[in-house]
Amino acid sequence: MGIFHKTPHDDLHRDRPSLGDWLNLRTGWYGFVQKNLDEPMPAGVGWWQTLGNLLLTLLVFQFVSGFMLTLYYVPSPDHAHQSVSYINDKAWMGSIVRGIHHYGSSFLVVVIVLHILRTFFWGTYKKPRELTWVVGVLIFGIMLAFSFTGYLLPWDQKAYWATVVGTRMVETVPIIGPLLLVLVRGGEEVGALTLTRFYAIHIMALPMALMALTAGHLYLVRRLHISGPVTKQKGKPVKFYPTQLFRDAVVLLVAIGWLLLLAYLAKPELGPVANSARVDFTPKPEWYFLGLYELLKLLPPQLESVGTFFIPMGMIVGMLVLPWLDRADSRHPAKRRWIIDMAIVTILGIGILTLKGLLS
Amino acid sequence: MEPHYNHEPDPETPTRRKVMVTLIGLINAGLAAAIAIPAVAFLVDPIRRKHAVGDWIAVLDDGALAEGETKYVTFEMLVDDGYMKSVRNASVYVSRKGSRLVAYDPSCPHLGCHVEYKKKRDRYICPCHGGVFDSDGERVSGPPPRGLTKVPTRTEGGRIWVRKA
Repeated sequence: MGIFHKTPHDDLHRDRPSLGDWLNLRTGWYGFVQKNLDEPMPAGVGWWQTLGNLLLTLLVFQFVSGFMLTLYYVPSPDHAHQSVSYINDKAWMGSIVRGIHHYGSSFLVVVIVLHILRTFFWGTYKKPRELTWVVGVLIFGIMLAFSFTGYLLPWDQKAYWATVVGTRMVETVPIIGPLLLVLVRGGEEVGALTLTRFYAIHIMALPMALMALTAGHLYLVRRLHISGPVTKQKGKPVKFYPTQLFRDAVVLLVAIGWLLLLAYLAKPELGPVANSARVDFTPKPEWYFLGLYELLKLLPPQLESVGTFFIPMGMIVGMLVLPWLDRADSRHPAKRRWIIDMAIVTILGIGILTLKGLLS
Repeated sequence: MEPHYNHEPDPETPTRRKVMVTLIGLINAGLAAAIAIPAVAFLVDPIRRKHAVGDWIAVLDDGALAEGETKYVTFEMLVDDGYMKSVRNASVYVSRKGSRLVAYDPSCPHLGCHVEYKKKRDRYICPCHGGVFDSDGERVSGPPPRGLTKVPTRTEGGRIWVRKA
């Protein structure tokens, strides 16, 4: 049973139609909403399928808080730090808005990784959902680009040095590396033009790309429907509304509640202003880049570009072509051993390196 | 008089269609180029900027650096920073070995973190990825591909001068 009982043509021609009816006659939105609420959920769909909705909600929070931050933020080396400090300490609820944005980005990374892992182990990237997976991987890439560009904006020591190191990795790209470095930084050094570039990418290019990809992802999810558990469960499909939407709501309550609590209790950090001549500061990237950071310590000079370019690129390409690498018909993990084993080794590797980075 | 469209020949002859389709393609390609060319040029502008070689800057009194000593000195440089002139904090390690005066850029040749000089071990150590360099700036171990970058130095008027890029 849906909340909209009306068929598209009921009540539309009354003398005084309601606003909803008036709009429906012109847009047909009842049908759209009804179709989405009636979306069939195969038996066995449950809490693991709430992550997509959580991601979407976290993105809305990032968009709103991000827009609010631009009302005060100035992307210039002589004002960036000052303006963030103003947001943090002076603006009403400024530290909460910044906190939502700051901690929200970490939440997003955690949730998107869980979402990817769920999709991977359930094998739902298989035919006909290959493109849903590919678009999802691109969205993951966009998220990482978001966090890399956003990290610089507060222009504190951490921001500056993480960007010096992070952009320097671009230089190790074979052949065009040095040219790319200048392009990314907007000059030889990290400076005023790096800040404007990162800012423009962060608030214009990436959001637009993200919106387009997310729309495509959702379209595909609805067109191809949810695939359900690996082995078919007994029972009929249940409508999305209200059972699954209720689970979504519970997860949202817990996750967003946690995020708000964190933003409220722990004011986001703002270190001393960026200084290009301080040796007493050890640059460390955000926690989700720590695995890569540790990997770079282990590699000898001859293999530098392996760690900075080939391994990260290989992982992205590997994820993109996964639906064509894993050609097994079955979605069951036991029937696609090698790909599952490879993923587990990769996940363990990243996990151990990240842990090492956190402890060092 | 009403025109009699029905009796006129079909305007969409194959040739006419072809010409129109080609023109649509050309116009659209032109439109794409009209925005893409200036956009890309704008984007890659930093590649065309020549990297200016810095001026000589006096960083230390000649007498302040004893034989065998290594000092970390910071100084300010006025640099072109895109649309603005920035005062950039710069730094070098200056060390005197016998009559020889050398200066090293503290940026690790690996990924650009600043190395620290450890007096006890007489080594430069990068805090990020663990690169180690000896007192001559040569790479000892770790991921850096080469030794520390030397910075030109000279002594004049009782002062030590460096020229940092």
